[in-house]
Amino acid sequence: MQRMFMRRVGLALLLMLAATALTFWLVTAAPGNVAALIAERAAGAGADGEMIAKIADDLGLNDPLPVRYARWLGDALTGDFGVSLRTGKPMAEEFAERIPMTLALLAGGGVLALVLSLAMGIAGAASNGGIVDRVLHGLALVGASTPNFFFAAMLVIVFSVWLGMVPTFGVAGLTSWLLPWITIALFPASVLARVVRVNMQDTMSRPFATTGFAKGLTRSAVLLREALPNIAIPYMTTFGAQFTLMIIGAIVVERVFGLNGVGAFFIEAIRFRDFIGMQAILTLFVVFFVSINLLVDLLAMLADPRLRRPRKA
Amino acid sequence: MSRHSQNGPIYEVEGLVIDLYTPTVSVRAVDGAGFYVAPGETLAIVGESGSGKTVMTLGPLGLLPEGVAVDLRGTARADGKDILSMSPTDLSRLRGGFFGVIFQDPMSALNPMLKIGPQLAEQARRFAGLSAEEAKKEAVSLLARSGIPDPEDRYDRYPHELSGGMLQRAMIALALAARPRVLIADEPTTALDATVQAQILALIRQIQKEDGIAVILITHDIGAVSVLADRVAVLYAGQVAEEGSAIDVLTAPVHPYTRGLLASVPDFRSNNATGTKEIPGIPPNQAQLEPGCRFADRCELVQPQCRTHRPPLVKVGAGPVPHRVACPVVMAAEGIVTHD
Ligand SMILES: Nc1ncnc2c1ncn2[C@@H]1O[C@H](COP(=O)(O)OP(=O)(O)OP(=O)(O)O)[C@@H](O)[C@H]1O
Ligand code: SF4
Ligand SMILES: [Mg+2]
Repeated sequence: MQRMFMRRVGLALLLMLAATALTFWLVTAAPGNVAALIAERAAGAGADGEMIAKIADDLGLNDPLPVRYARWLGDALTGDFGVSLRTGKPMAEEFAERIPMTLALLAGGGVLALVLSLAMGIAGAASNGGIVDRVLHGLALVGASTPNFFFAAMLVIVFSVWLGMVPTFGVAGLTSWLLPWITIALFPASVLARVVRVNMQDTMSRPFATTGFAKGLTRSAVLLREALPNIAIPYMTTFGAQFTLMIIGAIVVERVFGLNGVGAFFIEAIRFRDFIGMQAILTLFVVFFVSINLLVDLLAMLADPRLRRPRKA
Repeated sequence: MSRHSQNGPIYEVEGLVIDLYTPTVSVRAVDGAGFYVAPGETLAIVGESGSGKTVMTLGPLGLLPEGVAVDLRGTARADGKDILSMSPTDLSRLRGGFFGVIFQDPMSALNPMLKIGPQLAEQARRFAGLSAEEAKKEAVSLLARSGIPDPEDRYDRYPHELSGGMLQRAMIALALAARPRVLIADEPTTALDATVQAQILALIRQIQKEDGIAVILITHDIGAVSVLADRVAVLYAGQVAEEGSAIDVLTAPVHPYTRGLLASVPDFRSNNATGTKEIPGIPPNQAQLEPGCRFADRCELVQPQCRTHRPPLVKVGAGPVPHRVACPVVMAAEGIVTHD
């Protein structure tokens, strides 16, 4: 268990290293010249080749790629992600302002996806082919195939424009969070509801479920007490994957609902060819992906008695 | 042989027909079969794989795996109460408290995510009316009684931490925790090592003696039948071919299928002159049932009328335990008369 844990953590660190190196290479290889951009900002149209070359030299942009990556990594490890080419503010400051916004979006969406998917999946399994099961199955299919920008637009039209219940833009109080949370939770909730339903069905036909009935449990008790613990592990794994994907959803949702999170910043960074900003945000995404997956793997290990308490020889 | 033959049956099934439907096949798994078991008695149900032993015994209790649609007709009574018309809640209570079930493979029949002991304690609390504290003590003593060493330690173990034999003992303890009146053991030793098999059978026998409960032992093991059973029912393709006291059925079998089954068991009877031989052929396809005797295609004695008329199960002999056989041909040939 401990060795497995250490291996998993080591793997996660390696993955972060590889992924940041890859993004660093991709971002620097993208068309556009950081030195030229900086020169333009400083001197407007008056920037000449000599000035650009000097800036490039000062920034070490002419060094070989591995050297530049190593320098970037060293800075990043001390919390220095450079200065945004677009806003002129250190990325660390941008992070401090924007990460809470994105985290609130992801956390609320994650909780909503968790609650909805468990409720839908369990209700479907309880109905077992009945009308509730079929309606929920249909909803999950629709939910999993509705693009989030379209869904967001529908929500805004109905709840903000028609009913005037929530603001169309920006955040002011809890109600304004509802539409972004619902939007970002739609896809993961739909996928996860199916995961719960399908695994429940599989588990309910296993011999230990029959033992549950033989113990005198009612069907709903077998569902909740015998089957549910057994779907915990596949559920956690899929939840982790879906939760990390929500960061992609956040890019769209933050734009649509006018939230100043890292997703919105990322779009702007691309538009303004803010390479520094892009690399910083991508690094953040990588760290998020890898650490959520690591966390989920470790939780799944803890949830499984076969891994938590391996059999003594 | 039957120690309590004066007692009425405690679990009794009559004229049971069970059709199973899956998206691909429909099967008449049980076709007008029945059985009964009295308190203090052990009934063995034998028959080839697929003959319907499990479906017949557990089907009326609603203990067939999910994913198969079940159509069930006939009568089934537990302690005189009609099971088939019970509400789901009443049936759940009956399953938990009145019946105890031991399944074939303890590795898959015990929930891998649940500790062993607390499940026993819960049964004792819910069905034997014990307090939480008493129930835990009872669970530990049940584990001990089932032959599990260091039961306090095992109480908090998960299934994967126990060996197959120990798990089957835990399964037995679980089945007994509610203090059931009928213990159903569905091939309780098939998944276990040969050395462990005898121990498990001895344990079931001991429990049966001590508690005086009714035991239904579903098995392929004729040796186990001869040691444990008071009565035997032989099932073939969803029908009862022969039933009676273990002595009658094992030493004076009448039905050609029973005779074939016993002849295929090595060293079952030392006077077995023909040596062991398998019954040729395979059981009929229960998805397409022909009229007449199910055994006709494999029977050496088959007559034309066997294929058109289903042989009735009739009483032969006049012993205190009814011996019934569904083969008029052998009866006629050997001058066996009906005692109905
Ligand atoms: N889950 C199921 N799905 C489809 N058919 C089934 C299912 N369970 C049993 N059957 C069918 O019902 C019939 C009786 O099966 P049953 O399990 O009662 O036989 P059995 O005598 O207990 O056999 P075994 O000795 O292998 O346990 C068989 O023809 C089998 O194919
Ligand atoms: S009824 Fe006919 S086919 Fe059936 S067992 Fe008897 S002799 Fe054989
Ligand atoms: Mg069976």
